[in-house]
Amino acid sequence: MASKKKRMLAVTAGALLASTVLAACGSGDDDKKSEGAGETGGTLYFNVEKPIDHWDPQRTYVGTDISKQSRLVYRELVTFGTSEDAVESAKPLPDLATDTGTASDGGKVWQFTLRDGVKWEDGSDITCEDLKYGLSRNFATDVIVGGPAFYILSYLDIPADADGTPQYKGPYTKKGQDLFDKAVTCDGKTITYNFNKPWPDFNLAIAALHFASPYRAEKDQGDKSNYSVFSSGPYKLEGTWEKESGGTFVRNPEYDKATDDTDSRNALPDKIVFKMGTKLETTYDAILANKGDAACTVSDNRLPPSKFSEIPNVQDRYQNPDSPYADYLWFNTKKLPLEVRQALAMATNREGWIAAGGGERAYTPAYSVVNPAVAGYKEVPTYKDIPLAGDPDAAKKILDEAGIKTPYKIEIRYPQSETADKQAAALKDTWDKAGFTVTLSPEGDVYYSNIQKPDHNYDVGWAGWGADWPSPMTVLPPLFDSRANIQGGSLGQDYGKYEGKAFNDKITEAQNATDLDTQITLLQEADQILADDMVYMPLEIAKFNWVTGKNVDFHTTPGSNSFPDLGLIGLRNGGC
Amino acid sequence: MFAFLVRRVFAGVIMLIVMSLVVFGLFFASPVDVAAFACGKNCSPAIKEQTRKALGYDDPTLVQWKDFMVGIAKGREYPNDPELREAAPQLVASCDAPCFGYSQVNSRTVNEEISKAFPITVSLAVVALIIWLTVGIALGCIAALTKGSFLDRGLVGISLVFYAFPTFFIGLLLLKFVSIKWGLWDIPEYTSIADGGVGAWLYNLILPSVTLAVVFMAAYVRMTRAFVLEAMSEDYIRTAHSKGLSRGRVLRKHTLRAALTPLVTMAGLDFAGLLGGAIITEYVFNFNGLGKLAVDANQNYDLPTIIGLVVLAASFVILMNIIVDVLYAVIDPRVRLG
Repeated sequence: MASKKKRMLAVTAGALLASTVLAACGSGDDDKKSEGAGETGGTLYFNVEKPIDHWDPQRTYVGTDISKQSRLVYRELVTFGTSEDAVESAKPLPDLATDTGTASDGGKVWQFTLRDGVKWEDGSDITCEDLKYGLSRNFATDVIVGGPAFYILSYLDIPADADGTPQYKGPYTKKGQDLFDKAVTCDGKTITYNFNKPWPDFNLAIAALHFASPYRAEKDQGDKSNYSVFSSGPYKLEGTWEKESGGTFVRNPEYDKATDDTDSRNALPDKIVFKMGTKLETTYDAILANKGDAACTVSDNRLPPSKFSEIPNVQDRYQNPDSPYADYLWFNTKKLPLEVRQALAMATNREGWIAAGGGERAYTPAYSVVNPAVAGYKEVPTYKDIPLAGDPDAAKKILDEAGIKTPYKIEIRYPQSETADKQAAALKDTWDKAGFTVTLSPEGDVYYSNIQKPDHNYDVGWAGWGADWPSPMTVLPPLFDSRANIQGGSLGQDYGKYEGKAFNDKITEAQNATDLDTQITLLQEADQILADDMVYMPLEIAKFNWVTGKNVDFHTTPGSNSFPDLGLIGLRNGGC
Repeated sequence: MFAFLVRRVFAGVIMLIVMSLVVFGLFFASPVDVAAFACGKNCSPAIKEQTRKALGYDDPTLVQWKDFMVGIAKGREYPNDPELREAAPQLVASCDAPCFGYSQVNSRTVNEEISKAFPITVSLAVVALIIWLTVGIALGCIAALTKGSFLDRGLVGISLVFYAFPTFFIGLLLLKFVSIKWGLWDIPEYTSIADGGVGAWLYNLILPSVTLAVVFMAAYVRMTRAFVLEAMSEDYIRTAHSKGLSRGRVLRKHTLRAALTPLVTMAGLDFAGLLGGAIITEYVFNFNGLGKLAVDANQNYDLPTIIGLVVLAASFVILMNIIVDVLYAVIDPRVRLG
């Protein structure tokens, strides 16, 4: 049941890597961590319960998968480092490029220059044309699906068709190729991107997401290439990738460490074997028992709460960082009066919600829908002032003063799971005390389809989100800008049907800001508008619980995503 | 015989066509928007429609079903869009007849998916079948021949207990305790004969096959016992005994032959059902057979794979029904095909 919630999270939170996690993401258990440097060599096993959807860089939109690709096989113009410190980890580092890029024309033009000596696994040079071709694939939206193309499609300076899609249709049909060739140009090793509006943090975006990854044109077979890997990193795929069972990565002799200034690719194990499909419980039963290969196994599936009791026995290989997600409640702004929303927020029992979900190992309270790891994060005072256990008396007072008749019927919707049922029950407890009559209405797989329907009549619902890159621009507008969300018979992610002119105007201002500081200030103001209108109530930041086999050297997670990082992990004690 | 076969095959084909149509209808009646699911977050309506096109779900349901049937008969090429195929031939995936479709979720034809998963399921089903038939029939015969004894009651009682165990419970028990906690058996990972030889193949199949076989075995003990006892009460058995035939010869030549007839029917249908995928066992042991493929396809709203597996599983059941009917006539001389 818990896995269903995780799946929902994965769907909504999508690009996890992009979310940066501040220094707070450290577990606070530093004194208990192994500080081993890790040994070079050996075979590391990496278990993943659900198959990886894509190895195609332009189609990858799940943070942990982006992280694996970055560390193993795909180098980018810029990338994130492995620092546990969120501020450091949110800084783009030159990777394939000689620097972190040069912006001009108020952030509407970006230039990068490829460094010398960077090669594909067949020994050929990575060229500017490869970068350009990789970007062009995003525009073939009838072939390259599932990726984060949304951003580049809306930013690149290409005229749009009547349906809003760019007139360039990708490298397969080549319709509108001349438009693309004008928007993205190559001059030797220098690539220039021309945008239709300022994109002051474009380099952050391409460090976090792989939509601008280089791609060798002759290797492209569209969907047939989805599980092909043509490496530019320290490893390459041995044989083929089998979606159900996985694959093995071995060292790529064409990768030259001298061309890589980052600390992101220590490439310690000689071989990394991915095993797909092993059940979460089976993986952790074996890891905790240290049987056979499990002693050299790591997984990016979280330790289930049912096994938290084992943690004291494995402190030397345990990490508990904050995730890059934030979970929140949305309120139906078209149905519930402001005072009702405020009363619900005031009586929201975050403490009970967290306890029911596994306690402090599983969650930490949230004071904004923006994760603390995101640059420019600021606690919203409105949410900070609400007691963690909720204040039913104060909530009742809000209702009484507004003349709202009680008991007031409220129905809360959420994706069903055993844990979510308990958490929702904790909310009901204090809401009922405040004068509401609460009905719990869990839903199955149709939850997200239903809450995106413009005619839904739900009162309150649960949702989760993670930033695509370390900017509130990838949190607040995607969730609450009605202009971007409510269209084409869908609410998008604006599940509460919020249409706030002041908020939208603030977002427009932020979008047109030519520098990051101004943009962040405007977005902080926008978040306060949301709080004043009580559009959402932040609940918690989920925490990761990682345990590895006893021979895995695992002493930190990067602030950029908090997942076990294959650029850092090595083996110890001679491996397996 | 020939007319019988033609009739049954024809009826089977009609059944498969109707089933495929029903699955198409049910799939598109689902409230989940498959294109939105595949498109992910930050998906604009225009991109969602492009995704729908990429998935091949932009045509009306009946048109898609017709294309599916054409693919079964003649084969197909993907992507669906002929303009795209012409402009970029490197994208084209050919799927020969009988083509079950192309899975965008797994980026390959359903035929390829099935060809990878089928040997795993067959291996599992065959080893399980051998275990449950051998042990089930042997213990059933022993129980029948010792009717009323402590042994008989013990076997019947134990089989009842095993029959009550859910498959997932047995599987998890074996995996968690036998493999992980006690370390008596390595965690099974399917290894083909080509990759690891017969020994590794069989070794890795034992725990999942036992899991699968236990419930069937328990049922077969009880049924064999009942059928053997019923046959033993027949007049011709008494006649055989009175003619002076040995007890073993009567059992082998007369009793079992009569008792096996209904067991063959059941074994055939049970085996056919497993060929469609031993869903729980494959899932527990992470064996990527047809059952796990079916579960994954359902979770990912992968229509081409779902429809392909439904048609395949139904084909097995229909085929085994026909084979069982023919075997009936071979085993039991009283049965004639008409």
